Amino acid sequence: MAVLSLSASAGEALVLGLATGPVCLATCGPVVVPWMMVQPRGVRSHSRQLGLFLAARLAGYMVFAAAVWLVGSSIQRAWTGRTWLMGGIELLLAAALVVYAVGWPHRRCAAANSAHAPASERHGAADGLVRIGEPPRSLRSGALALGFLTGINLCPPFLVAGVRAAQLEHLSAALLFFVAFFAGTAVWFLPFLSMGFVQRTPAVVTVARMVAVLLACWYGFSGVSILIGRTMYG
Amino acid sequence: MASQSSSLRRPVAFRGVGRSILLTLPIALWSLLMFTPSFQRSGLDLRIASAVTIVFMTTLFFLMMRTGETYRWRRIFFVAVGFLFPFGFIASLIAERGSMSIPVSRMVSGDTPFCFMVTPSLILPAAFARTIIFPGSILPTASNPRSIAAMIGIWFAMTLVLGKAWCSYACFFGGIEEGFASFAKRPRLHKLVVRYSHILRLVPWAILVFVVLVSAAIFEPVYCMWLCPFKAVTEFPAVRNVETAIQMGIFVALFVGLVVVLPYLTKKRTQCGFFCPFGAFQSIFNKINLFEIRFNREKCVDCTLCQTSCPTVALSKESIAEGKTLLNCMKCGACVDVCKKDAAVWHLKGTPVAVKPERARLLFLYGAWAMATMFGGSILANSVATMMHWLPWK
Repeated sequence: MAVLSLSASAGEALVLGLATGPVCLATCGPVVVPWMMVQPRGVRSHSRQLGLFLAARLAGYMVFAAAVWLVGSSIQRAWTGRTWLMGGIELLLAAALVVYAVGWPHRRCAAANSAHAPASERHGAADGLVRIGEPPRSLRSGALALGFLTGINLCPPFLVAGVRAAQLEHLSAALLFFVAFFAGTAVWFLPFLSMGFVQRTPAVVTVARMVAVLLACWYGFSGVSILIGRTMYG
Repeated sequence: MASQSSSLRRPVAFRGVGRSILLTLPIALWSLLMFTPSFQRSGLDLRIASAVTIVFMTTLFFLMMRTGETYRWRRIFFVAVGFLFPFGFIASLIAERGSMSIPVSRMVSGDTPFCFMVTPSLILPAAFARTIIFPGSILPTASNPRSIAAMIGIWFAMTLVLGKAWCSYACFFGGIEEGFASFAKRPRLHKLVVRYSHILRLVPWAILVFVVLVSAAIFEPVYCMWLCPFKAVTEFPAVRNVETAIQMGIFVALFVGLVVVLPYLTKKRTQCGFFCPFGAFQSIFNKINLFEIRFNREKCVDCTLCQTSCPTVALSKESIAEGKTLLNCMKCGACVDVCKKDAAVWHLKGTPVAVKPERARLLFLYGAWAMATMFGGSILANSVATMMHWLPWK
């Protein structure tokens, strides 16, 4: 009977994820698109990045599932902490986007700026926006950080799933609910792999980094607005 | 460096008067056709204004034929439209609702006039959620005859044929900054623009991707709500709290910076070239339309006069070496007019380069000027009629 109940709730979560996937796509798209645009061309590298992003997003879902199950039905009430959480997450997302868009000054930059470096590299490093060929570690951490932060960002379908998971009897059931919900929404992310076919030029990478900076401004403004208790629209 | 306007002058008699009149006849007929409804139904003010507009548009086209120049005469029309559009539009808003601000009730009822700038942001929400994220009506209504479907349809048809020429012949915003750019005798920030042009010309693409993605995420036209410089001289949400005050501050700052100050300092269309996401969107259509500017490498002496004269930095040394413009070329004709070796030429795709370039120019100009008369001409006529309405002896 318990197994039947679990599979029923998993099925419900899967359907919920599939149905609300376009909203997830629209919510996460602003973060995923510029991130994927700075990756090297090719479906394989994009699959790896999207896989990392989704894995971190699943981790975020699990953290959220555990938290809402522990908080229980109080998630449904006006919880003042939610405002702080939402604002804080958006500010963290803004910071992460800036870090991975502009990048910290590191030795590659200094080397590229030196007089011995090829002219093309000097030029790219000098404008501070075009740097192709990041170290692999930085790429992994970017996908993981952005995936996790979007995973715990409270978008509308995510909140619906949270309310439903909070009502379940066991923690394992809440986690399973979110795994199924994640699987439903993840299907909608597959079209992002097509970005692997887009030609990579310095211009494309520069545009992607500019977009990330603009998005960071947007999330930063949104986060501050939430924290000071104002809506963004009058 | 020689000033742009003086370097654009060519010998006056490029073509005889009779032949120029003959070539102008189709445009004169088109103008009459466009304004026939004004003569049939409207009051005296609009009839006179329409007549003035027909003469104005036809004369400019005649001068294009007669002198062989495009840029100078197009600029007169374009700047006139740019400066008169806010005048007529604001007057109509104040006459209709007593204020430039949009009441929430008008937005809810979908009576906001549609602006083509929002077009790219509509695509994703329409595709995924079958929703138009603009407070206008998809089909014409009694209070708002300019429906979203009609405006997008007309824009799309024009763009397929003429590509990014929309930005030089039909956009009623670009003329304002072209006017301020033409006021300066010489550019003061030329070196800065040249140094960073490879980055600056990418900014519109970044803003395009940003507004499309965020508009889809929050189901709001982000560009209209937060980034449009021309809200400062058209209409805007009523300022009634901190957020709308911030919005208004952004609109005014962008307008003053990008449309007034920087064009004056650089003699470039800085908003169009370095900011406008709709311009970037239009650039995509430059790939598939028939007309373009090409460079005859056998005649070109790499003097870079064309590069200096381009108002939107749509030329680089590399692109000229390849005999092409960059994707963001608006087909204004400045580079063709300034070239003393006749190396820059109008070109019809699929034909040999620099063979009968004047034929390509004529074909392009008929389409572009017809579009200019349709959009800019009606704006000019309405604005002139508004000015006449306010004449002291009336």
